[in-house]
Amino acid sequence: MPTVSTVSPGARFIDPQILARIGNLELVARWVVEGFINGLHKAPYLGVSIDFAEHRGYMPGDDIRRVDWRLYARTDRFYVKQFEADTNTNFSVLFDVSKSMSFGSRGVTKLDYGRFLAACLCYLSTKQRDRVGIVTFDDDIVERVPPSAKHFDVTMHTLDRMDPGRPGALGPPLYKATEFFKRRSMLAIISDFYDEPEKILDAVKPLRFAGSDVIMFHVLDPAEVDFPYDDSSSFQDLETGRKVPVVPDKLREQYRELVQDHIQALTALCSQNRIDYAFLNTKAPLDLALFKYLAKRHKMTKVR
Amino acid sequence: MGFLVPLFFTALAVLGVPVLIHMIQRQRTEIIEFPSLMFVRKIPFHSLRRQRVRHLLLLLLRCAALALLIAAFARPFFRSAVLVAVTGGSREVVILVDRSYSMGYGNRWERARDAARDVVRDLAPDDQATIIFFDSGAQSGARSTRDRASLLAAIDTAELGAGTTRYGPALQLAQGIFEDSDQPRLEAFLITDFQRIGVDSAANTLLPPGTVLTAVSVADEDETPNVSVSGASVQRDFFSSRERAAVTVRLANRGNETVERQVALELNGQEFESLPVTVEANSSATLTFAPFTLEDMAMPVSVRAVADALPHDDVFHFTVAPGDIVPVLVVGGAGAADANRYLRTALAPGSSPSFSVTVRSVDQVTTADVAAARVVVLNDVGLPSGQVGAAVRRFVEAGGGLWVVLGENVRWPADNLDLLPGTFGEPADRDGRGGTLVFVDYSHPVFEVFSAPRSGDLTTPRFFRYRPLNVGPETAVLAKFDDGAAALAEHAVGEGRVLIWTSTIDNFWNDFALKVVYPPFVHKVVEYLAAYTSPTAYLTAGQVLDLAQYPGAVDLDVVGGNLVVRDPSDDRVAVGRDGRTGFIDLTEQGFYEIRDTDAADSASVVVAVNVDLAESNLERVDPQELVAAATGRAAGDRSVTTQRELEPEDLERDQTLWWYLLIGALGFLASETVVSNRLSRTELDADE
Repeated sequence: MPTVSTVSPGARFIDPQILARIGNLELVARWVVEGFINGLHKAPYLGVSIDFAEHRGYMPGDDIRRVDWRLYARTDRFYVKQFEADTNTNFSVLFDVSKSMSFGSRGVTKLDYGRFLAACLCYLSTKQRDRVGIVTFDDDIVERVPPSAKHFDVTMHTLDRMDPGRPGALGPPLYKATEFFKRRSMLAIISDFYDEPEKILDAVKPLRFAGSDVIMFHVLDPAEVDFPYDDSSSFQDLETGRKVPVVPDKLREQYRELVQDHIQALTALCSQNRIDYAFLNTKAPLDLALFKYLAKRHKMTKVR
Repeated sequence: MGFLVPLFFTALAVLGVPVLIHMIQRQRTEIIEFPSLMFVRKIPFHSLRRQRVRHLLLLLLRCAALALLIAAFARPFFRSAVLVAVTGGSREVVILVDRSYSMGYGNRWERARDAARDVVRDLAPDDQATIIFFDSGAQSGARSTRDRASLLAAIDTAELGAGTTRYGPALQLAQGIFEDSDQPRLEAFLITDFQRIGVDSAANTLLPPGTVLTAVSVADEDETPNVSVSGASVQRDFFSSRERAAVTVRLANRGNETVERQVALELNGQEFESLPVTVEANSSATLTFAPFTLEDMAMPVSVRAVADALPHDDVFHFTVAPGDIVPVLVVGGAGAADANRYLRTALAPGSSPSFSVTVRSVDQVTTADVAAARVVVLNDVGLPSGQVGAAVRRFVEAGGGLWVVLGENVRWPADNLDLLPGTFGEPADRDGRGGTLVFVDYSHPVFEVFSAPRSGDLTTPRFFRYRPLNVGPETAVLAKFDDGAAALAEHAVGEGRVLIWTSTIDNFWNDFALKVVYPPFVHKVVEYLAAYTSPTAYLTAGQVLDLAQYPGAVDLDVVGGNLVVRDPSDDRVAVGRDGRTGFIDLTEQGFYEIRDTDAADSASVVVAVNVDLAESNLERVDPQELVAAATGRAAGDRSVTTQRELEPEDLERDQTLWWYLLIGALGFLASETVVSNRLSRTELDADE
């Protein structure tokens, strides 16, 4: 069995390198998602909207906090409020397919990792009867699949044939993408976010202001976080082709600090703007990262 | 002279590498592709002159330093006569046998016992042995015995447990035995299925140096499909004014093939319904049974799937009690029925618990009403006079809950002021839009439910009038208005609790009763005053049940009664027989029934116990990994793990020659620094 370790009872966490050997994205998503749901008492939910949907009669066991006290005054009967999440919502992935996403130091590229992540999120959303879609971008929109209940297969196909080749930029494509999401949606942006934190937020905020619920998945390779190189070498930027001579030993600590500062700045800015932010290292089992994030999200939103 | 790790001498070959690099004059610049150089600072790339070996002395010093370092790592030692003095001899043997319930998979348990018997039979006459059976804890029989018959008898009578695998306690017990032993050779046999879940517990356990730990795995090499009943939930409703419950059960399939199972629901030991279910590979499924009517007492319920290779996790036990009801007595002013309407309505919904509200005016309430309640609410009335007031006082002192609501009509008798946390004054008005709650102690059980985001905003109600409460610094003020005045304060009287709310609980002095946070607030106040805890449906094998703290056993006389427990094996044992009054070790899976034989009409208390489902995950760890962790030596090397007579290791440890070599290497390096500095200076001078 390709299981690696068990951290919490009932859950098994799978090495991304093992996932990389499986060609079928839907199979990967199904395996990962079903795997971490298997054995848990309660499945985590992805789309928990706060949009009010309807009332239903109070049943013993319902949370007293959901009783509509004002409606009782009018009808003399107890009702509880139900929200949009109990029905369905639009879910779209905005996927950065710039050249830098093709980097991978341990067999799994950031693109592959993000691809698995997106497939799992789409699968999970489809299981909740949400409508799924995808937008891929580098410095412009590359491909777009609008959210639909019938677009799961097309989304998987788009994910499967993504080909990173051009330099990336967040601002222009995300401004354009804002036009696509007139209706309130849940948007997952998957990128390595190589830009100044303020510029990144400037690019993402219009999506948030349009009313969508935005989650930023910041995917980095362990080599980008730890900078484990030893020998003096010439480093070449994947996107610009520019070469810089580097002595890693002298640079490593400062580099790590800069990366951590970047992550902390993004965390703080996202929190200020009520945007969810999750940092993912491609060496971490995907389902563990996904499980932790969804459990946190579910905990934060289980009561409205 | 010998070397402990002579393989390190192959590293001498590397001495030639720097010379070669110097000589072949190749300066290679490797190009590394990196996603973004945003964080990378430019650092000049220094080239060096490498045309020839210019400083032979420096090269020799460096090579000598490296050679000494390599020799130090090879761990040299001198052979001596001491070498043969302690070889051979009798053994201290510890046999560790896993009895966790996963050993019930197939015939693992029988194979484990056979393996243990083989070890006992192979003991030499002078060997001493101890057998330890472990799951989440560890137990040993006679320690360090040469009596083979008793060891074999212990193996024959051992039974499979219901606990989970933890290697730590067993290895610690073995560690203690070895440390007390005077035998020259120490050897342990670990007979288990090597489940990964038990490994973490062994993290800080290291057997004494020289201990040989032999792993004996009884795990199956093939796939180990397993279906488990991973939980059950109960939905309640009322039908023809009787409470009914419908059980939904969840099954998890950890195998790679879809399976079909027949699952039965048993009530009071009798099958109620049996349904088929299909569980896909590496997936889970749920199944809901038809509802059944609840009895007056907690009913034992079991969900049983047709047994597979691991039968322990194919059954799930729990108890279903009728929804417990908290009786609440609301005492209001005469002719003030409207004042109680909001409170009565807010307490109407709810199932765990549900509330039985009795409303009395202050001139009608009786001592019997007080005695029948678990919570008394004095809604805009003072403490009743006469016997009823005394009954309320006794009620609180005995553990009851009292909620005092300070409205306009409250006059409190001076001789009972100690029931309140302080004195209160005449009503105070707030101008304009009124006051709000600005301080709330969200860590208190009353307000904890509002602590999460979007779980209720307590700042929305407006308070136009309240009665100022003068409290001492030691009083717990749970909520305050925006002018600093207390809104809710708590006071302990005897065994009971008193809460005082300084405004009204209708919409006369505030609009709190119109807000959505009002019903949950009222529920939590009453639950807190009633000291309500939700019933425990089941416990887990391995836990110790403290009857004095167990909500279901409140009717039992834990200290003075003659309590007898019938365990799932149908054995009857007196509670407290081992000197621990009121404590029961829950070692088996099933139902424990506790009864007081001294009480004539004693109702029994039924406690359901399940196995820990973490053990259902049969994922294995490499045995050599665990051996390495427990012995501190590299695994897989039989020469290390099977022979304690590897005296070179001991000799080397005593002589520590490698230290001298290391110091020598450092000396060469220091010399190299001095020489190279002088040479650099000379060259710089020459350049200038």
